[in-house]
Amino acid sequence: MTATAGCPGGHGVPPRSARTAPVHPTPAWAVARKSLLLPAFWLVAFLMALGAARMVLVIQNAIAEYPVATTTALALFALYAVPFWLFVSALDYLEREPPLLLATAFGWGGLVATTVSAPGSTAIHNLLAKTYSPNFAAAWGSAIAGPTVEEIVKTLGIVAIVLIARAQINSVLDGVIYGSLVGLGFQVVEDIVYAVNAVAAAGRGDDVGPVVATLFVRGFLAGLWSHTLFSALAGAGVASVVVRTDRTMRFRLGVAAVCFLGAWACHFVWNSPLLTVEAGDNGYALIAVLLAKGIPPLLLILLLVRTARHREADYYTQQLAALDDPDIATPAELRVLSMGHLRANARRYAYARAGVLGRRAVRQLQRAQAGLALELSRAQTARASPAVSHWHEEVLLQRARLRSLGHPEAVAIDLRRGSMRRRMLILAGTLLVLTAACAALAL
Amino acid sequence: MRVARGRLLQNAAASLCILLALVAIAVGLPAVDRTISAERAVPPHLPYEVGGGVTVVPPAGAVLDVTRTRPTARQGTALFTLGPVRYVIVATPFDGDLDGAVDRLRRKVTNAEGQLDAGLPALTGTGLSGREGAYTTPDRAGRYAVFLAPDISIEVTVSGTETELERTEPAIEASIRTIAYQERV
Repeated sequence: MTATAGCPGGHGVPPRSARTAPVHPTPAWAVARKSLLLPAFWLVAFLMALGAARMVLVIQNAIAEYPVATTTALALFALYAVPFWLFVSALDYLEREPPLLLATAFGWGGLVATTVSAPGSTAIHNLLAKTYSPNFAAAWGSAIAGPTVEEIVKTLGIVAIVLIARAQINSVLDGVIYGSLVGLGFQVVEDIVYAVNAVAAAGRGDDVGPVVATLFVRGFLAGLWSHTLFSALAGAGVASVVVRTDRTMRFRLGVAAVCFLGAWACHFVWNSPLLTVEAGDNGYALIAVLLAKGIPPLLLILLLVRTARHREADYYTQQLAALDDPDIATPAELRVLSMGHLRANARRYAYARAGVLGRRAVRQLQRAQAGLALELSRAQTARASPAVSHWHEEVLLQRARLRSLGHPEAVAIDLRRGSMRRRMLILAGTLLVLTAACAALAL
Repeated sequence: MRVARGRLLQNAAASLCILLALVAIAVGLPAVDRTISAERAVPPHLPYEVGGGVTVVPPAGAVLDVTRTRPTARQGTALFTLGPVRYVIVATPFDGDLDGAVDRLRRKVTNAEGQLDAGLPALTGTGLSGREGAYTTPDRAGRYAVFLAPDISIEVTVSGTETELERTEPAIEASIRTIAYQERV
């Protein structure tokens, strides 16, 4: 089902989602337990068990040797994963993904992809050394083996997610989310292993210094544009194959190939010895190189995510717009609902006008509007299912609550100021991280 | 709760493809790697760059294991073999003293359930000071040497059977004396 009526603003123009990126809601008949009957589910379960067993051995050995450093690495990188996870899973506010499936994607990246990639990457390094020279392998091995093996294995994880729960891949954005989590799992486990290796290489015993240095360099400086981003791009390609049923299979496979090659190229550039400075040489030069290599793919993929989010938001807000009922959602609320920063802005505005109760009511109204939009899309006919009725009543309840608080409409105010404040916060945060990194590298 | 037969077969076929791709990467690539010899002859009497500014003149008759040799500007490893004897040089960034560098090697050996003796002072022909001695692990015995250059520790391990070690000792000792360090500009 794709939206066909006017855009949320009601100008009679078909929404972007209908033109370029159709959304396929999870059908009402889709049952999660059906996945248990699929061979793909058991394959993924088996591979994850295998990967988990290997990781337990690796961690056990590391803890036996460096108990404090290994435990610190586990704790720091687990904490490090939390904001990434929250950010990625919140990308799809209007149609949340099942947590179990998100965890499966993360597990594939952390357990299966790392386990399979290790021998494959080593073999390619060796083959390069044998075919060319050890110098060539040392310089270009990571740039060639890393993307070639790791991107394939991670992308296979996204394909496995599709095989397990195809009905949950509703839009390109879903592919981005599952891809990101596969990449995040890989990144976190790889960083833990790197941290423990750094402790061993430093030769100072059970010292947490190398763990903290690894967190800074691999987590903060390099982590923002690493596996999470590469796999997000590959995930967008896989999702395109699933959702763009309006196009030929050849076209869809072409899009998937372009996305995969994009992920490969980003990874290649990142690992390549071009524009490389040694970590110990010059902290400022290192940061400049990391930014030069990392920012272009980051911007490219953020643009992709932004477009995918807007397409999906168009589709779901259109479900509410079609009801043409200001008690459900006013045009201004539809605009707010479609963008994360506007939703937050609306909650802040409600807090300013009606205190904590106002903020809570707006949050619940937004949640109910999103729930109603989702159930309307799944039911395909308005108000046809119990779930639609439930969310419809919930929206009306929250609307009545807002009216009683003297703040009847969940709108955002002074958008420019809110947006500027957000940008300044991001800029200040980035500068803070870079300054801390410079200080750490200078020590 | 049923799944259509067609979908089930399609799912099984796709799952099999994923499994085969993973096996090709995890098992196939290493198998291809094993079919090609890793040994390469190295020119005798010429310094070989280990990495991190460290060079060594390999013993006559030694061959290089290219899969265990990784020279970079900051650090490096070189593995030479003389028959069953393995001669490994590892240069890594290190900011401690000689005792710390020896402790680091000791930790590696004890991790492999082996032992490292206290060793004696050693000096290369190029003036690098260090310590050398013997070590044992459950599956091999050998000699070790650790030298310290500015910001770099150089670990040398020579392992093999006692007979082979004795036979190759003069050549390897001579090679160890040629270990040199040139600071990067």
